[in-house]
Amino acid sequence: MIDVKNLCKSFGDNLVLKDLTQHIYPGEKVVIIGPSGSGKSTFLRSLNLLEEPTSGTITFDGVDITDPKTDIDVIRRKMGMVFQHFNLFPNMTIRKNITLAPVRTGLMSQEEADETAMQLLRRVGLAEKADAYPSQLSGGQKQRIAIVRALAMNPKVMLFDEPTSALDPEMVGEVLSVMKELAADGMTMVVVTHEMGFAREVASRVLFMDEGRILEEGTPAEIFGNPRNPRLQDFLSKVL
Amino acid sequence: MEQYEAWKVLMREGNATFFQEFYVKFYQAFLEGDRWIQYFKGVGTTLIVTAAALAIGIVLGVLVAIIRTAHDQQRPGKRNPVLGLVNGVCQVYVTVIRGTPMMVQLLIMGFVIFSSSRNYTMVGALTLGINSGAYVAEIIRGGLMSLDPGQAEAGRSLGLSYVDTMRFIVIPQAFKAILPSLGNEFIVLLKDTSLINVIGGKELVYAAQAIYGRTYEQMYPLIGVACIYLLLVIIFSWLLGKLERRLRQSDRR
Repeated sequence: MIDVKNLCKSFGDNLVLKDLTQHIYPGEKVVIIGPSGSGKSTFLRSLNLLEEPTSGTITFDGVDITDPKTDIDVIRRKMGMVFQHFNLFPNMTIRKNITLAPVRTGLMSQEEADETAMQLLRRVGLAEKADAYPSQLSGGQKQRIAIVRALAMNPKVMLFDEPTSALDPEMVGEVLSVMKELAADGMTMVVVTHEMGFAREVASRVLFMDEGRILEEGTPAEIFGNPRNPRLQDFLSKVL
Repeated sequence: MEQYEAWKVLMREGNATFFQEFYVKFYQAFLEGDRWIQYFKGVGTTLIVTAAALAIGIVLGVLVAIIRTAHDQQRPGKRNPVLGLVNGVCQVYVTVIRGTPMMVQLLIMGFVIFSSSRNYTMVGALTLGINSGAYVAEIIRGGLMSLDPGQAEAGRSLGLSYVDTMRFIVIPQAFKAILPSLGNEFIVLLKDTSLINVIGGKELVYAAQAIYGRTYEQMYPLIGVACIYLLLVIIFSWLLGKLERRLRQSDRR
């Protein structure tokens, strides 16, 4: 579904991603773990070209999205993204936050979008917040709305960039449970997270990144039960 | 009227009370020969010049701000040469306008560039507009840059185009943030219209000058004009405050 070949990314002289090659299959739940500054967020953000790769190619559903001639807006409509800091639009109500993109991109009429929004809001238990503004919500509620906003575009894959890192500990659970539900529904997901419990429970494959490389990958059982790379062993001993 | 004539005689003889003198001078400054009409016309011109300069300033400012922001936000390695050139022009414009005094710009526009024009008021409005545009551009650019880049990223990640993201997400938020500075700039502009009388624009100060040129009494017309400016600015600030409160609706908790 997403095919990454020889992806390199540098900021100035600083090489952040070093020749990554990966394939993400439909229905997979890929969880990326690793220390800060290991390039996991940059890798995730490259997948929908929020970061422009320095070299290498990324192919999504057979389309080379790194080709300058590709209309990246069309590609991004099929890839939902959830950010660490939610990035809800504070100048709009929740309803408008969710319906803006589907309506403006011509995916749905306003009525259809409103209906989809209410359906999704009911699913995450926030239907009564439709007419509230983001500043009136808690962090956990904001992140659940952000997930709904991405889902409203009917994406084929969802990218999560440390979705629980900016939350109070007591709100982490409500966001993770929405993500688990999503995973159970068969959504293809790529998740950068520090929540090892989530990785263990939900991931179909775990990638361990450090210094711009994928040092080890495997099922959660392999990664957490029998880590081979010394860096991974060291990392797990600190976080578990 | 008869009272004015009688008290004027008293004043000339040096026998007028304070109140009588005040009345005579006030009458001369504002009422004699329907002089208030001159002030009235002056205020009209001031408002027209402000409105015209405001329109020019906003159009120029938005244009320059968008060009400069778009130039700065280009993907590295994919720079558009045309945009680079236009950006250079914008930078020269902002530097020159901000680097020279308003008064000098007015004199150059009035007596050099448009020396054959008799429409002093509109030359003045044009100059003020061009001047204001440079400041407005920097204010808007600051507002666009101060916004969390995550907002634009969120918009683009949903598949919205650059233009839609700017239109629905970035600009409304930036506008709210820059409204106080923008209001400040407009107040400065309103007051700076008083400068156009140096090239012959017939605004409020021009009216005051014409009147004390005949009565040789400067205090009343000038203080009167100051009060009128103050009143205009107060009304304007009040309107601005209302707008700000309306835009803050989404901040309520």
